[in-house]
Amino acid sequence: MIKEVNSAEFKELAGQGLVLADFFSTTCGPCKMLSFVLKDVEKEFGDDLTILKVDFDQNKDLTAEYGVTGYPTLVLLKDGAEVGRLQGLQQKPVIIKLVKDHQ
Amino acid sequence: MSVNYSFQDHLINRQAEAEAQMLKRFEEGNYTIANPLVVYNAYLVNPLSAVICFETEEETAVTLTVLGKTVQGNISHTFPKAKKHVLPVVGLYSEYQNKVEIRAYRGETNVVTIDVPDVFDGKKVIFSMDTTPEYLQDNIILVSPAGEDLAVGFDYAGDARWHMNLPCVFDVKRLKNGNLIMGTNRVIQMPYYMSGLYEISPCGKIYKEFRLPGGYHHDEFEMEDGNLLVLTDDLRRNTVEDMCVLVDRNTGAILKTWDYKKFLNPETVSHSGSWSDHDWFHNNAVWYDKNTNSLTFSGRHVDAMVNIDFETGDLNWIIGDPAGWPQEMVDKYFFKPIGNNFEWQYEQHANVITPNGDVMCFDNHHYGHKAVEREQFLSADNSYSRGVRYRINTKDMTIEQVWQYGKDRGAEFFSPYICNVEYYNEGHYMVHSGGIAYDKDGNPSEALGAFASSQGGHLESITVEICDNKKMLELHVPGNYYRGEKLKLYSDGINLELGKGQILGQMGVTLEMDTEVPADSQGAMLPESCSARVEDEIDRFTFFSRFEKGQLVILQLEKGEEIHRYFISTTAVPFLAMCCGTFLDSDDRNTRTNINKAGLEGDYDLRVIIDDQKYETGIKIHC
Repeated sequence: MIKEVNSAEFKELAGQGLVLADFFSTTCGPCKMLSFVLKDVEKEFGDDLTILKVDFDQNKDLTAEYGVTGYPTLVLLKDGAEVGRLQGLQQKPVIIKLVKDHQ
Repeated sequence: MSVNYSFQDHLINRQAEAEAQMLKRFEEGNYTIANPLVVYNAYLVNPLSAVICFETEEETAVTLTVLGKTVQGNISHTFPKAKKHVLPVVGLYSEYQNKVEIRAYRGETNVVTIDVPDVFDGKKVIFSMDTTPEYLQDNIILVSPAGEDLAVGFDYAGDARWHMNLPCVFDVKRLKNGNLIMGTNRVIQMPYYMSGLYEISPCGKIYKEFRLPGGYHHDEFEMEDGNLLVLTDDLRRNTVEDMCVLVDRNTGAILKTWDYKKFLNPETVSHSGSWSDHDWFHNNAVWYDKNTNSLTFSGRHVDAMVNIDFETGDLNWIIGDPAGWPQEMVDKYFFKPIGNNFEWQYEQHANVITPNGDVMCFDNHHYGHKAVEREQFLSADNSYSRGVRYRINTKDMTIEQVWQYGKDRGAEFFSPYICNVEYYNEGHYMVHSGGIAYDKDGNPSEALGAFASSQGGHLESITVEICDNKKMLELHVPGNYYRGEKLKLYSDGINLELGKGQILGQMGVTLEMDTEVPADSQGAMLPESCSARVEDEIDRFTFFSRFEKGQLVILQLEKGEEIHRYFISTTAVPFLAMCCGTFLDSDDRNTRTNINKAGLEGDYDLRVIIDDQKYETGIKIHC
C-alpha cells in the first residue's frame, strides 16, 4: 500500500509492521522520480510493506521527530522503531534490499 | 534545431594533428639556428610554451635559454646532440616579448622573439612572492586548480612562467621520467569525478590518458616500478571516494583494487564535522611506504589517516582523535599521544610518510573536534590550519607531535578544505594553505571556495616553504588552489617526445535508472528555453540543459526497444565537500549530464522526459 498521510494518520499507521516513510517535497525532481521507484517497490512486497508518503513541508512535527533534514529521505520502521534510513534518490534494488534485510 | 550539437575530438588526437602539421612545415622548410621554425603553444594547452625546430649540419648539443626579465629569471636547458632539433620552450612570460636564446655547443647562437599575449585575460593571478632567487633558483611553485582559477606556476620574482588553459584539476606531480601527472579535464560525474589522468610534458604534450571506470579524484602516487596508485570510485554504488586502484603504467589496466569498506565499517566510523553517508570517508590522499609495504589513506570525513597492508589490505593503524570510534578499534589500532603540545588533526589532507617513518599532513583543523563534540566546534575566525609531523611507534602505539607550522598564523592561514604539505628533506618542507576564504564583509569564512565566491566572498591561497624553521618563501595568490608543487620546468628526462599519445584504460558504464517513467510522446521538440546542447566525444557525451527546479527530468537513449534512462537532478545539490568547484555552474538551474559510451553500441535517438512529456532533440548519438 502507498498512501500519502498527514501527521495524525502517520502516527496511526507507523507502529504496525514494516513501514517505509518517504519524506518528499512537491518541488523536488528526485522525489518525483522516487515516487515511480516506490510504485515498483510496492509491487515487490504487496501487503508486507506499507509505504507512507509524508510531505516534508507540511509535516514539520514529523520531520523534527525523525530528524529528517533533507528530501527525499526514506525511513524504514519496524513496529514503530527505525531500523534503516536512505537519503536521496535510490534505485529499486537498494530499497528492496533494505526492506528484505528487516523482514 | 532546439539542441545544439558539437563533436570534440580527443585532445590527444588534436595534439597529434597539430604536431604532424608542425613537423610537415619543418620538413618542407629550410630551418636553421639563424632561421628556426617557432611554433607558439604547439600542443594547444600551455600558452606559456612553444616548440623551436631547426637543423644543424653536424650533430650538436643545443642549449635553449628563455631569457628572464632579470638574469636570475633565466630558464635554460641543454638538449642532447642531434642534427634535427625539435625543442620545447617552457617558461615564457605572459603579455611579453620573450627572448629565447639558441646556442649550439661551441657554435652558432641566435636569439628569437616570441610574442605572448596576456594569457590571463587581465585577471590578477598573484598578490606577492616573497623569496630569493638563490633559494628558489629556476624552480617554479605550481598551484593546481580547486575552482575557476586554472593551474599556474610562479618563479622567484612572482612572474607566471607556466599555465594550462584546461581545467585539469586536483594533484600535479612530477614523474621519475620528468613528465607530469595530473587529472584530466573530462568530468564523468559531478561534482569533480574525472575520466582519469594525463601523463603530460611540461610543454603540454599529452603522452597518455589513463582512463578509469570509476574515474579519478584528489590524488595519485607513482610506485617504484612506475605503476600508479590512483584514488577512484565505484560510481555504480551509493558511496564515493572510498576506493583505490593500482594502474599498469604501460597498458592502463587495473592490477589491484582496494575497497575501504573491507577494512572500515561505514556504519561505525567516527564522523568529522563534514561527514555524510554518501561521502563517508572522503579520501583525499594516498601514499605508499616501501619500508612497511603499506598504503596510507587520508580520510577527511573520519578525521583520520588509515594505514593498511599493501598485499592483504588488513588494517594496521589509524592516526586520529579516537573520540566516537568503537572501543575495540581504539584499543587495537589507535595511538596514545605522548610529549608536549600534542594536537590531533581534523579533516586533514595530503598525508606523507617521511623516510624515517614519520607521518606528515596538512591539518586543516576544520571544526577542531569530532562530530560527537559538535558543541565545541571552532568557528572560522577562531580556527587555524597547519602542517604537522607526527612520530609514531607502532610497537607501543604512541604518537608524538615533532613539528608544526601555521597554527600561530591563526585564521589568516585557515583552509577548511584542500591543501598539502611536501617533504623535501629533514627540516625542509612546503605547507600550502590553498583554501582560504573570506565572507563578503571580509571575515574569515569556512565556506568552501565555490560557495564562498557565490556568496560574495573572496578566496586566497598562501604557500610557504620552511627550512630549519626559517621561512624561505611565501607565495600569496587570489583564488583557491588544491595543492602546491615545486618543480623545474625542464627535467633530466624526455622533455618532449614526438608521436601520437595513447588513450589507455576504459570508461565505466554510466549508471542508469531502472524504473520507467510514463510520458506522453507527441513528437514535440525540446523547448528552446532549455538552451540544450550536446558535446559529443569518442567515448562519451555531455548533455547540457537548463530546467526549472523541481522538474522530473530523464534523458533517454533509444534504439528500437532498447532504452537507456539517465536521471537528471534539477535540485541544487548541497555538495558538502566541494574540493574542486571548477565545474559548478553559477546558475544552479543549469545541468550537466555525462554519459559514457561504454556498454552502448550503435546509433541512439536522444530524447528527454520532463515531468509527463517526452521531447525530441533531433540528435543521434553514435556509440
